[in-house]
Amino acid sequence: MRHGRREMGEDAAAKGPRARAIEAFNLPLFLKRNALLIAFSAFIMVMPAWASPLSKPLGIPIILTMRLVGVYAIVAVGLNLLMGYAGQVSLGHGAFFGIGAYTSALLTARAGLPVWVGIPCAVLVALIFGVLLAPVLRLKGHYLAMATLAMGIVIFVFMREMTWLTGGNDGVRNIPDLALPFLKVTTTQGEFYYVWVIAIVALALCSNLVNSRVGRAMRALHQSEVAAEAMGVPVSSMKKRTFVLSAALGGLAGALFAHLQGFIDPNQFSILLSISLVTMVVIGGMESVWGSVFGAGLITFLPKLVEALPRWLGDVPDWLEKYSNYEGMVLGVIIMLTMVFMPSGITKGLVDLVRNRRSPFVNPFRRKAVD
Amino acid sequence: MAAGATATSFSEGTLLCAREITKSFGGLTAVKAVSFEVHEGDIKAIIGPNGAGKTTLYDLLTGIYRPDSGAIYFGGKDIVGLPPHRITAMGIARTFQTVRLFPEMTVAENVMVGMHHRTRAGFTTCALKLPLSRREEAWMKEEALATLDIVGLEMQGDSLAGSLPFGQQRLLELARALATKPRLLLLDEPASGLNAYETRELGDIIYRVRDMGITVVLVEHDMGLVMRVSEKVLVLDYGETIAEGTPEEIRSDPRVIEAYLGSEVD
Repeated sequence: MRHGRREMGEDAAAKGPRARAIEAFNLPLFLKRNALLIAFSAFIMVMPAWASPLSKPLGIPIILTMRLVGVYAIVAVGLNLLMGYAGQVSLGHGAFFGIGAYTSALLTARAGLPVWVGIPCAVLVALIFGVLLAPVLRLKGHYLAMATLAMGIVIFVFMREMTWLTGGNDGVRNIPDLALPFLKVTTTQGEFYYVWVIAIVALALCSNLVNSRVGRAMRALHQSEVAAEAMGVPVSSMKKRTFVLSAALGGLAGALFAHLQGFIDPNQFSILLSISLVTMVVIGGMESVWGSVFGAGLITFLPKLVEALPRWLGDVPDWLEKYSNYEGMVLGVIIMLTMVFMPSGITKGLVDLVRNRRSPFVNPFRRKAVD
Repeated sequence: MAAGATATSFSEGTLLCAREITKSFGGLTAVKAVSFEVHEGDIKAIIGPNGAGKTTLYDLLTGIYRPDSGAIYFGGKDIVGLPPHRITAMGIARTFQTVRLFPEMTVAENVMVGMHHRTRAGFTTCALKLPLSRREEAWMKEEALATLDIVGLEMQGDSLAGSLPFGQQRLLELARALATKPRLLLLDEPASGLNAYETRELGDIIYRVRDMGITVVLVEHDMGLVMRVSEKVLVLDYGETIAEGTPEEIRSDPRVIEAYLGSEVD
C-alpha cells in the first residue's frame, strides 16, 4: 500500500499538467460520461407531465406505480451489486426491506419521531442486521442460497410473531407520509419526486462504485475467487462490505415503502418479495445498474397491466382476472425463461445486440464443444 | 522478534526461505519436508514428474494452504498463516497452471485488479468519485498499459480477457501478476500449451522481468525453457527434494535421470 502511494506521488509530479487536467471539471466530458444518468433524470423529471393525463385512459396509475418502481429500483440495485457483480446469491433480501420498513414505521408511527429521522434510522438498522448476518457469506453457491432463504424466512416469522413490537398480522397503521424537515409531502407527484431523487442519487453512487477499483474487485471475485485473492483482493471482507451495502439499500427502500403505503404487515415482506427482487435483478440484467431499474419497472408494472386488461379488452378470462393469485408462478417462469434463453438479462442483452452485434439469445439445446 | 532473530541466520540476499515444509491431504503427503532458498535476482526452476507436489508447494507459499509443519520466510518475515491477499501485498505474485483470468473483464481491467493492493480508494471514496479515486483510476489505467507493454499486449487492452487466444491469456496472467509489483514471481507451468515460438518469447519475457529486479521461480515441464532461463533447479519427486543445483549438475545427476529425465536426456 505504501508502495502505491509513493508511486502515485511521483507519477503525479512527473505528469503534472495531465494529472491536474484530470482533476479539473470538464463539462462536455462530464456530460458524455454521465449521459445515461442525465437522460434518465430528465425523463423522470418530465414524467408527471405526460404520464398523468395518460393514466386515466390507460387505466394504469402510472405515477402512483412509478413511486414504487423507484423504491424497488433502490433495493434491486443493491441486490445487483451483491448478486450480479459480486456473484453472491441472496434469496432473502426482502428481509432487509422489511426491517427498514418496520424500523421507520415504528419510529414514526409509534415513537412519534419525524419521518426524516425514521428513514436514516431504518438504513442504520438494516446495515447493522447486514453486519450481523454477513458471516453467511462464508458459504458458497447453493449453500449460500439456502442460508439466505432461511434468513428471509426467519426474519419474516419474527415480524409476524413479535406482536408486542410489530403488531403481528395486524401490522402497523397510520404511518406518516414522506416528509422533509419543514415540508410535508402529500401529493402523489411530490412522493414521486421524493422517491426518485433518492433513487437517482443511489443509482449514481452505485454506478460510480461499479466502475471503480471496488467494482472491479467485486467482479473479479465473482469470476475467480482464488485468482482475486491471489491478486491481492481481500475477498471475504469485500463480500461482507458488499452485503452490508446492499442490506442498507434494502433498508432505505423499505423505509420509503412504508411511508408511501401508510400501512405495513409482515405478509408484504414474505419470500415472494425476495423472489420478486431476484427476478428484477435477473430479468433486468446481472452486472447492470440500469438493468435493475428496468427490471424493477417491469415487475412492478406487470400486475398493474394485467389489472388494466379488462378495461382495454372488455371481458377477460377468469384466470387472467385472478392474476395476483399466481403471481409467484409467473415470476418463476420469467426467471426460468430468462436464465435459459437470455442469461445476461434484457438490458445487457440489448447492449450486446447494439454495441457488439451479438445476439443476446442463447440456444440452450445446442451442444457445446468442450466446456 | 522471532522472525527477525531467525533472519540473521539467512545467508546474504535470501528472499524466500522454506524450511522443512510438509503438507498432507488425508493419507497422501503432497509435500514432504521440503527446504529451499531463493536468492534475490535468481531465476530458479522447480521441476519434477506430475504429482511431485510442485503446485501444492506454490499453494503453500502463497497462503492458499497452510503447511502442516515447517516455516516459510519471505524477506525475513514469517508468512505462514497469513491470508493470500496479505502475502500478495508483501510481494509474492503467482500465475496458475490452469489459466485463471477474469474472463468477462477486459484485458486492462484484469491487470488493474492486480493493482488492488497498491491503491486504497474504498467504497465511499469510489461511490462519491472523490479526487483520490479519480486520480488512482487515471494512474491505474496508465500503469496497466505500461504493464501490458512488458508482455506485448498493450494493443489488446479493451478486448475481453476470455476472448484472447490461449497463449495471450498466459501472458495476460503474467502481466496481471506483475501488476501487483511483486518482489518474487511464481510461474506455474507458464509454457504449457504454448507453441515453440511463444515459448521462446516467454523466455525473453522472463529475462526482462528479472532485469526489472524481480526474482522468478518457475515450475515447468518444458526442459528447453528450464535449461535456457534458469540458473538453479530444484527437483521434486513424490513431494521430496531429490536434487538441487545448476542446470548442468541436474542434467547429470543420476537420481534425477532415474526419476524424471531418463527418457529425455540420453
